[in-house]
Amino acid sequence: MDRRYTILAILLIIAASGLLFLPDRSKPKEINPQELLAAIDDPARFISTDQVTERIIGADPALQLIDVRSPEEFRKFAMQGAINIPIDSLLIPQFKDVLTQAGKDKVFYSSSDLAADEAWQICRRTSVPRIYVMKGGLNEWFNTIMKCSEPNATAPSQDIDLYHFRLAARQYFTGGSQLNSGQREGNSGASDKKAEEVKVVKKETKTGGGC
Amino acid sequence: MNSKKNTGTFYLNPYLGGVFLGLVLMMTFYFTGRGLGASGAAKSTVVAAVNAVSHEHAEKSHYYGKFVTDDQHPMNTWLVFEVVGVLAGAFLSGLFFNRLKLKVEHSPKITSRRRLIFAVSGGILFGIGSQLAKGCTSGAALSGMAVLSLAGFITMMAIFGTAFIFAWVFKKNWI
Amino acid sequence: MVGPLIPMGVIPQAWDNVFAVLLGMGFGFTLEASGFSSSRKIIGTFFGYDFVVLKVFFTAAITAMLGLLYMSYTGLVEFSMLYIQPTYVTSAIVGGIVMGIGFSMGGYCPGTSFCAVAIGKLDALVFTIGMLVGILIFSESFPVFEKMYNSSFLGPKLVTDSLGISKGLFAFLLVFAAVGMFWGATWVEHKVKKVEY
Repeated sequence: MDRRYTILAILLIIAASGLLFLPDRSKPKEINPQELLAAIDDPARFISTDQVTERIIGADPALQLIDVRSPEEFRKFAMQGAINIPIDSLLIPQFKDVLTQAGKDKVFYSSSDLAADEAWQICRRTSVPRIYVMKGGLNEWFNTIMKCSEPNATAPSQDIDLYHFRLAARQYFTGGSQLNSGQREGNSGASDKKAEEVKVVKKETKTGGGC
Repeated sequence: MNSKKNTGTFYLNPYLGGVFLGLVLMMTFYFTGRGLGASGAAKSTVVAAVNAVSHEHAEKSHYYGKFVTDDQHPMNTWLVFEVVGVLAGAFLSGLFFNRLKLKVEHSPKITSRRRLIFAVSGGILFGIGSQLAKGCTSGAALSGMAVLSLAGFITMMAIFGTAFIFAWVFKKNWI
Repeated sequence: MVGPLIPMGVIPQAWDNVFAVLLGMGFGFTLEASGFSSSRKIIGTFFGYDFVVLKVFFTAAITAMLGLLYMSYTGLVEFSMLYIQPTYVTSAIVGGIVMGIGFSMGGYCPGTSFCAVAIGKLDALVFTIGMLVGILIFSESFPVFEKMYNSSFLGPKLVTDSLGISKGLFAFLLVFAAVGMFWGATWVEHKVKKVEY
């Protein structure tokens, strides 16, 4: 009787000591540092505010704007069609579906492009495909689109075209009422087009209450 | 062994029982990502009862308010289903090992009445304690230990440490 | 088949409650068959005449722990997806002490009392009713407890993080301690006079 228990105890200890020699956990898949460095150097991840605007207006179905600012800031103002994933929640499993959805260009933005770039790096390291950063962030977007100023009459024609595009975009975002109001500089009130609240199908991963 | 079985005193070898229990617990984590529990179901029952008596009161209360949602009945929780399973499983085991019997189990030195009074007061304390610690021996301590949760170890030590001291205080009730 | 299967979406959410009943049956059967439906058997741990609780409880905990750690190593289970109860130090200790007193008075804990109710123990039924009353008392007087309930919150912390050692080392030490305890328990059981119950 006692001998059997001794043998079992020894087996148990051997099983446990096996864990001593194993690493804590198999590491998640990461891309190697060289690749990451090369990717960081590559400016192709940046999308200009004009490109983003064009795609919003064109209702591009492949565009997915992701706001990495805090939920409070997001509630105050957000770009049309954006969803809010604060940067500290990027790796929460519930957002995994949003980030990995195939066939969509995920464009991060924040107030400037610093936080968005950080988000981009986090996602790049976990090998999320098709991710971009909106160059300059919301500030740049306001400056270029919402407060666009008329170029000199002698400016190259591309600039004039760009100006007209931005003007049209501004009217698109602020509502069509000011079609001919020219270049009123005033910030005509950030359009409060309701940005879609993030609606991820909640998978019940965590349970409350425990016992 | 057969005669033992018929008198209702056959129990599994504790180590074998422990391994079975451990495997059940491991499978619970593997399938559902959470541990086993018990007091959560009791909490759901209370929430449901209060909710049925006065929905407004339940919604306003800081505590019930956390568990009352409009789209789901308070009894529709995982732990309630699990406890239904526990009752069924224990009944089967009692049937199998011939232990089904209505009785009050107590030390020969005390009366049934005294045993019941102590049982109800113990139950009240356990109810309060389990809500405070957010789990009982199964939910917090056992499941917590299996996933190395700090809360599990703290709760386990607090329960068994205190119970060890107080068992001697109430020694007369038991032996 | 990386687990946990239901949160990972391998098995549809609808199966959750089916598994709840099945796993609960396994839990209840094992508890009852190991003798957890008798309060005097449970309480024997504290007087040294029957260590069944200690043996079953720790064997179960280390079995599940070793199993999960090995599964996590082989990639069968994603450890970070498992539910880790958040740690509130004060309320865990105070709650544990209150439960400890209740345990020594009532002789059951919630899980075992359900088992005992299922086989017809009336004292367990009374204990369960008491537990419901206790929860009602707690909930109604929640504002009194609220501060303690939320104090010293550490988040879902692992014991290995706060001790600063690896999971493997901790598991090894725990298994070692458990085996030592089993040995000690057996030794005490031989010394202590048997109690008939």
